[in-house]
Amino acid sequence: MMRVWRWILAIIIGAWLPIVFITWWWNASAESTNPYFPPLSVIWEQFKVNWIFELVPVHVVPSIRNLLVGFLIAAVIAIPAGTLIGASRSGTRYVEPVVDFIRSIPPVALVPIFILLLGLDAQMRITSIAFSASFPILLATIEGVRSTNLVVLDTAKSFRLSRSAILWRVRLPGAMPTVFAGLQVGFQIAFVVTIASEVLGSGFGLGAFTLIATDSFLIVDAWTGVILLGILGYLLNLVFDLVERISLRWYYGQKKLS
Amino acid sequence: MPAIIRRTPAGVISTIVALLIWQFIGSFGPLAGDSFATATEAITALAGLLTDSVFWAAVGQTLHMAILGFIISIAVAVPLGLLIGLSRFSYRSSKFTFDFFKVIPPIVIIPIAILAIGPNITMGVVLVIFANVFAVAIQTAYGVRDTDPVLLETMRCYRFNVIQQVLHARLPSAAPQIAVAIRLAASAALIVAVVAGLVGGAPGLGNLLMRYQSGGQVDKTYAVLLALGIFGILVSRLIVRAQRRIIFWTGR
Repeated sequence: MMRVWRWILAIIIGAWLPIVFITWWWNASAESTNPYFPPLSVIWEQFKVNWIFELVPVHVVPSIRNLLVGFLIAAVIAIPAGTLIGASRSGTRYVEPVVDFIRSIPPVALVPIFILLLGLDAQMRITSIAFSASFPILLATIEGVRSTNLVVLDTAKSFRLSRSAILWRVRLPGAMPTVFAGLQVGFQIAFVVTIASEVLGSGFGLGAFTLIATDSFLIVDAWTGVILLGILGYLLNLVFDLVERISLRWYYGQKKLS
Repeated sequence: MPAIIRRTPAGVISTIVALLIWQFIGSFGPLAGDSFATATEAITALAGLLTDSVFWAAVGQTLHMAILGFIISIAVAVPLGLLIGLSRFSYRSSKFTFDFFKVIPPIVIIPIAILAIGPNITMGVVLVIFANVFAVAIQTAYGVRDTDPVLLETMRCYRFNVIQQVLHARLPSAAPQIAVAIRLAASAALIVAVVAGLVGGAPGLGNLLMRYQSGGQVDKTYAVLLALGIFGILVSRLIVRAQRRIIFWTGR
């Protein structure tokens, strides 16, 4: 009973500020004649027309598909590669500077290069997403695998575990929390590059829809796109957190104990 | 291994190898052609850019947006975070809202920014602020809340007032958190300033890159990317060094 009350209280405390903000926005913009800031009620009406659920299959589904496919490709390539590099000390020393340099280039800035190479289609978008998302994952995996707890490593060695057993059962599980941190950064980058690849390319996708609306002064449509993108960005992050919590349950359990 | 290779730093060797691979792919691979610049082409173009006033003007504009936006976001977010972190109620009230805006990348609001502000320097500054202010504020608040309660109790017993508590206990203990947030903010500021030019049409390196790309000047497109990578590395090195000096007590 106490716990339920605490939950309800936490939700109320977390929710009052957004509610006040939205109410304020609704009322303050109600009489707005500024073309760039239309009344929230008008935006909401258009939002219902656009996104519940008329245009979702046309604009939202391709965006999310590209995002997920690109991100998965990045993870599937970067985690094994990072594990191999991180397990060898000289591998890390040689690879890290170059990877670090490429990662320092703003991910969105790489999209024009991929447009030059591959054109404007879905293949270009997925390649840009996968390429940009893979570097944080790669670096995090290298770091995670390299910094295995030395006591655990020595213990494994003294039990004469084989090299592959050490890699699979000691180094990789120990690296998982760090790898997940990299995956999270990679996922956020993937989301940004998804939008950028649509904006800089042309045609389908939520990002393209929003910017085309902006360019054609369909300001209410642009607002609905921005709001949907914001909500999507938040929800995708939430789902990611959830997956992480479930996959790393053992780790959080250990942290609580210590 | 010959002694000369053993004595060269690993970073130098791998950079040379990477450049050779790049050159090879650009000359012989399936990517070779007009739409891909080789390493030598890109580096030659970069050398050309370094004597080009257009390039340096773009660098100046990008740095202007990044630095001004960064300073404003820190100046707003750290005091705001301190205030929020002082009470449990205000921290828990703002956590959800700040977390919500924190994870929304600034590219999302670019369409609105273009409409409301226009594709100019101010827009870049606003985007940089939007990108950083929520993250730095909530991280600061978290650090402040995380202050050792025994230390605070002790200070209360000795009748230190709130300001003294903030200055001598809460701020120093939040400093590592704040430092991490600021370091991330500095890298993000540069990236967002570039993105503002790429996507939003604000002036600067992003815009220059876009112009070279759509004008088919492939080698210069790659040269700007190289320059961006170098700036990125410089910024993160600079920040790490500054941080070690300023918050020396965290031992990192």
